[in-house]
Amino acid sequence: MRLMQLMFAASLGMASSLALAGETAYTVRPVELKAKPFADADTLANLAEKSGVEVVARQGSWNQVKANGATGWVKMLSLRFGDGTQKKTGDSGLGALFNVASTGSSGSTTTTGVRGLSEEKLRNPHPDPQALQQLGDLAASQAEAQQFAKSGNLSAAQMDYLPAPAKRGKEDE
Amino acid sequence: MNKKIIFWVLLGGMALPACAFDFGDLQKTLKSVQKIQQEVKQATEDVSEPKEIELGGGIASNLLGAAPLLQNKPVQRYVNSIGRWLASQTERPDLPWQFGVLDDNDVNAFASPGGYVLITKGLLSHMKSEAELAGVLAHEISHVLRKHHLQAIKKGARTGLMAEFAGQAMKQKGANPDLLKLVNAGTELYARGLDKDDEFEADRMGVVIAARGGYDPYGLPAVLQTLQGLNKQDSSLALMFKTHPALEDRLSLLDRLMSGRFDSFESQPDLAARFKTVMDRAR
Repeated sequence: MRLMQLMFAASLGMASSLALAGETAYTVRPVELKAKPFADADTLANLAEKSGVEVVARQGSWNQVKANGATGWVKMLSLRFGDGTQKKTGDSGLGALFNVASTGSSGSTTTTGVRGLSEEKLRNPHPDPQALQQLGDLAASQAEAQQFAKSGNLSAAQMDYLPAPAKRGKEDE
Repeated sequence: MNKKIIFWVLLGGMALPACAFDFGDLQKTLKSVQKIQQEVKQATEDVSEPKEIELGGGIASNLLGAAPLLQNKPVQRYVNSIGRWLASQTERPDLPWQFGVLDDNDVNAFASPGGYVLITKGLLSHMKSEAELAGVLAHEISHVLRKHHLQAIKKGARTGLMAEFAGQAMKQKGANPDLLKLVNAGTELYARGLDKDDEFEADRMGVVIAARGGYDPYGLPAVLQTLQGLNKQDSSLALMFKTHPALEDRLSLLDRLMSGRFDSFESQPDLAARFKTVMDRAR
């Protein structure tokens, strides 16, 4: 089944289907489980909001998932990874964790074991002009970038930036 | 331009005593003086592009002091090619764009004024395709395009400091204390993060720039999705989480925004095979 889809995708020169390591995810709204990654494909099942699924692969805006014994496709942005039991992934828990860690390392900029990109190092910076020079030497010219794009069959497309969406409250209430 | 402003300031000054007894006129005059003062402030604080690059280079140097460049030329050149190609699809194609991979296991990416973009090896290791890398680079490019960091530094700096810096001649002899102050303030910003709206704007622009570059535009949301699936207690994620809006909110925004608008870009390539070839060589 999957092989057929891959072959189908390849025959159209489409984006490849990327294998994922069976991530656990859940739906954030009711969605249709589609037989193929297309809106007009057959619907295999209807998944309620907060249905648990296992993500198998991605192709464009679609995730291939296993749900209730069936394998099909749902829009990727209708999924959130994790098991859905955790509250929002906001700053609270992580921020607190991080503060503990940075408190432990405060008072010294050279504590071994402190990560390279610790807050500490960003607050007490030491420039590296040599590395900056090296960075400049690695840069690509526009012509080189164009050649690179061509070798990947990338062609530039036109699209305007998107307007900021209306504030959430107004729309959802 | 400057002469004109000075003229109006002088005129405002002269007009002031002349109509001091007419209260309505006085208010009007005061208002116009305030407006002129704002214009003067604006004119002097507009940082020229060479100055923006000088400041951004200083910040990039500090970031490189915190984490070294990955010593792998094929990977660095690969990231530079993608980045430069994406930047060429934007309103600032001619900045001296420079992209680099930091040899650090933290999961993060940084943009610095003037066209510097750095991404950690840790973040790269969670990606599966060139389109995902392009999505993240396009997000960072957007910060540069909209001068998010420059604005934030300006906002946080002592009043007038940015104006003084903006007015100074380039390449002064010896250390420039104003530049150093702004560079260090700019570096500290990465420990605190930008406004949430700046991050949302960069997401919104990033998916468009990736689409313009011919990539599968769902690379950026795919990376955000992957990060959401990681163990949230992992310390390599701490700084990124602390300085960015919640992944849930970023994904919800992209969900609402991308729905129906990217259908014609859906089948653009993600170049997963090319990405894998380069990364395999890196390991």
